[in-house]
Amino acid sequence: MEGAFTVALWAVRLAFLALLYGFLARAFVALQGALAAERAQAARPAGIADLVARSAERYPLRAVSSLGRDPGCDVVLRDDAASSRHALLTFDTGEWWVEDLESRNGTLVNGAVVRGRARLAYGDVLTIGRTELRLEHPAKP
Amino acid sequence: MSRRAVELRLLGWPVALAATGGLAVALADAGAPDLSTVAIPLAVAGTGLALHLALRLSGSRADAVLLPLALALVAIGLVLVRRLAPGLLPLQLAWLAVGAAAFAAALVVPRDLGALARYPYTWALAGLALLLSPLLPVIGREVYGTRIWVRLGIGSFQPSEAAKLALVIFFAAYLAEHRELIARAPRRIGPLPVPPLAYLAPILVMWAVAMLVLVAERDLGATLLVFGGFLALLWLATGELAYVAAGLALLAAGGAAAVALFPHVAARVEIWQRPFADDLRFGASYQLVQGLFALAGGGLFGAGLGGGMPERIPVVWSDFVFDAFAEEAGFAGVLALLAVFLLLAHRGLAIALRAPTAFLQLLAGGLAASLALQTLVIVGGNAALVPLTGITLPFVAYGGSSLVANFVLLALLLRVSDESARARVR
Amino acid sequence: MNRTAVGDNIRALALALIALFLLTSVGVGRRMLLSPELANDPQDPRVAAVVFDRARGPVLARDGTVLAQGRPRQYAEPSLAQVVGYASAAYGAAGIELAYGAALVGQDSTDPLAVLRVRFLGARAPPGSVTLGIDPATQRAAAAALAGRTGAVVALDPRTGQILASVSLPAPDTRALADPARAATAWAAMATGADSRPLLDRAAQGLYAPGSIFKIVTAVAALEAGVLDPTAKVRVDDPFQADPSWGAYAVRSSSAAHGDFDLSLAMARSENIYFAKAALATGGARLAETAARLGIGRAPALDLPASRGQLSRSGTLDRPTLVADTGFGQGELLVSPLQMALVAAAVANGGVQMDPHHAIAVRDGGGNALAAPDGGPGRRVMSADVARILTRALVDAVEAPGAFAAGARVGGLRVAGKTGTAENPSGAAHGWFVGFAPADAPTVAVAVVLEHAPRGGEDAAPIGAAVLRAAVGRAR
Repeated sequence: MEGAFTVALWAVRLAFLALLYGFLARAFVALQGALAAERAQAARPAGIADLVARSAERYPLRAVSSLGRDPGCDVVLRDDAASSRHALLTFDTGEWWVEDLESRNGTLVNGAVVRGRARLAYGDVLTIGRTELRLEHPAKP
Repeated sequence: MSRRAVELRLLGWPVALAATGGLAVALADAGAPDLSTVAIPLAVAGTGLALHLALRLSGSRADAVLLPLALALVAIGLVLVRRLAPGLLPLQLAWLAVGAAAFAAALVVPRDLGALARYPYTWALAGLALLLSPLLPVIGREVYGTRIWVRLGIGSFQPSEAAKLALVIFFAAYLAEHRELIARAPRRIGPLPVPPLAYLAPILVMWAVAMLVLVAERDLGATLLVFGGFLALLWLATGELAYVAAGLALLAAGGAAAVALFPHVAARVEIWQRPFADDLRFGASYQLVQGLFALAGGGLFGAGLGGGMPERIPVVWSDFVFDAFAEEAGFAGVLALLAVFLLLAHRGLAIALRAPTAFLQLLAGGLAASLALQTLVIVGGNAALVPLTGITLPFVAYGGSSLVANFVLLALLLRVSDESARARVR
Repeated sequence: MNRTAVGDNIRALALALIALFLLTSVGVGRRMLLSPELANDPQDPRVAAVVFDRARGPVLARDGTVLAQGRPRQYAEPSLAQVVGYASAAYGAAGIELAYGAALVGQDSTDPLAVLRVRFLGARAPPGSVTLGIDPATQRAAAAALAGRTGAVVALDPRTGQILASVSLPAPDTRALADPARAATAWAAMATGADSRPLLDRAAQGLYAPGSIFKIVTAVAALEAGVLDPTAKVRVDDPFQADPSWGAYAVRSSSAAHGDFDLSLAMARSENIYFAKAALATGGARLAETAARLGIGRAPALDLPASRGQLSRSGTLDRPTLVADTGFGQGELLVSPLQMALVAAAVANGGVQMDPHHAIAVRDGGGNALAAPDGGPGRRVMSADVARILTRALVDAVEAPGAFAAGARVGGLRVAGKTGTAENPSGAAHGWFVGFAPADAPTVAVAVVLEHAPRGGEDAAPIGAAVLRAAVGRAR
């Protein structure tokens, strides 16, 4: 009986040590993840402008950027209501233009449906499927 | 996954630690689990959830790992209090609640963290007043030959803990304010840089204060912490190794003079250098000798929680928790514990790295450095690597002042982290 | 200062902190893993607990009588206090309780699997036992005979080296040490008793000038050197000075004698001048060598601490005055009762000296015998002829008319022995008696020393007689 108790006690003690090391490992992994995310964010090229989602996620834009669900797009949107190639954003002679690419659910600017091409100003809200994106100046690195 | 979600998942670990640790201690002590076996993990879980909620509610995007790391330390600390001084557990739990409240308060006050930098000299005065308050006649108390405690009706506390926070804020603000001077290359005498007066003055003042504390309060700990924190911030602000070296040299010289001139300081050094001398080991160095025995009794895997004899060390629950933990968890446990502290300090420094303004960089850096320094000083003292001091192991040792001050420190770090996260999005 | 410069400094500080933490870990690790002197310090309560807080087996006398048992420890025979010793977590351990402590608490295996089993399963070997050579009747007789005095008695079997009785008075109250309520005061009394020093085992550790009993050694040396004819008559005139270079020093006869002495008479009357002449004839070197062979200046191979004493301060006998002085038992000699008992035992055992030992059997928890000391193969320290001559002389020393050792006579027993009175510069003389019985086939050799004995050896002799009587009468 005493032997069983001693074994059980030692099992708990060793579990404590194991949990401590497990926690260290898990915390270290979490830190590495955070580090990687920060590096990725820093490595992302600065765009001429950013599309900012509600979740505060920023998508840098180039002179011509495609938006859609397809991973080959410049701005990939995880949204079922978005088409695979949904819209095209271009920066032309100092102005931003959005062009709907025959998407199923359409493209909106500030709530208004875009037919063909529409001008997009800084601060305007672009709606692709269910995703709302605001055009903003690029964030400082 | 958002940071708060990561944090929530990590919080499970400290609770598990508290549960297994508390169970082991209760089994070893009484053969069966008792109230504390449930109370300790509940307290850790409760505190964790409450603080996590506070962070969520304030919309914090701060680092996810700091709080779980600190709570792991708190969990270990509660288990050790149950092990070493079970009568003090309710009090420590009460202090935990106070610390959590202080944390929550520090999350929102002041609304703008940068406002802390606007009144540097106020912080300096507050810090100095706190540091020297145990010297006052009525409320100051002498304990074991040192004057580091203050009694105020409801209880006693160690103002040096709060003082260290105030002074770090002051240094960070002061150094950030005078950074133009730093940009200018310092005048040099030969290879050595001569600091401009803006630097020289505070160096000398701080050194004088440190010496005063050492001699009048007979406490090595506050001296080392305050001056060490100051030197760390000096380094961070200037990058001039010569300044730090000069500061260390001043400290060494002052220390040597204190040893030569003041017997109580010399006694501390003597206890450290020859603890096993026949004339000391049953008297002045008894505590340290028992602590060293506990260390040696630990071995690699320890005597097991509840299985050693750390209670033979006088006042083990506040001064020598490290040795008690080392005896029962072994060197394996010690490495893990030190790793937690290192990770905590490191994360604090990483937060400092990414802070958006100079003041916040210095603030976070100073806080992280002082936490690390405190850990190193107390562990070193417990192992007779450096002379023993009166400060305690952050989050782990029994003691309300330390717990509350370190929770405020944690909150400040998380606020700086939050600031950096926001600034990037702005 | 720009932000990236601070950033560089932060990185440097981070590296410095890692280095400091590593250094600290190494420092702590050294204390925890690489400091055996720290881990085994006898003041460490953990070290004490390993041995002292466990169940202890019994210490037994040769006939099975229990001398020490139980927890808290009960000690049955107060006169064996220094021999049996004590074991206390607070005050350490001494005596047999210390020497055989491992067996008494259950010999721990060093087999790594067993070590793990002890650690994680709490399984410990059961306590063992130790049997001493002590004969209770002889011990009681010795204690009764010495009662009220300060001194020591040790009796051993010359054929085997087993110690039959050992008394050292004053004795500490080890029963009080085992009682937590009385331990502190008892310890204070024991440890600070300046003159009485009860913790000292005078039988094995007490050192005294031997006085006349050393003449046995001188006789052996002279006989072996061939310079002494036991039956030849030697002229003795008091005082004796071999050479004018002796200056103020002269050997004084014990009885202001002027006459002829042979060995027997010289022994019976303890004639200093006879033996001084014998010593001078033997020469310092030969005398020193014989003394060393007989065990003077060497710690006996006892299983408890024993003193080594000295032949002289320098270890040699380089001056004629020192040779003469040593020859009759003064000089710079220091011996313990055990050493002198061993000399007597060698004579009794036909010239073969066995190693003394207390423990005659050590058993583990299962009753299996563990290694116990025995007398060893024995050392021939004198020829059988010399032993025979000396035996006859020592018998005469007791039985002859006018013998100083007459007090050692035992009715119905032929006792061989010698008394001695050692001058003590710091007070009254010490009285000695060494002897063995029965002279024809000795089964016991004894040494007695009495501190502050007004009549010296004459006070010691009856004590020796009592012990010899009891010992010879013991069951084999």
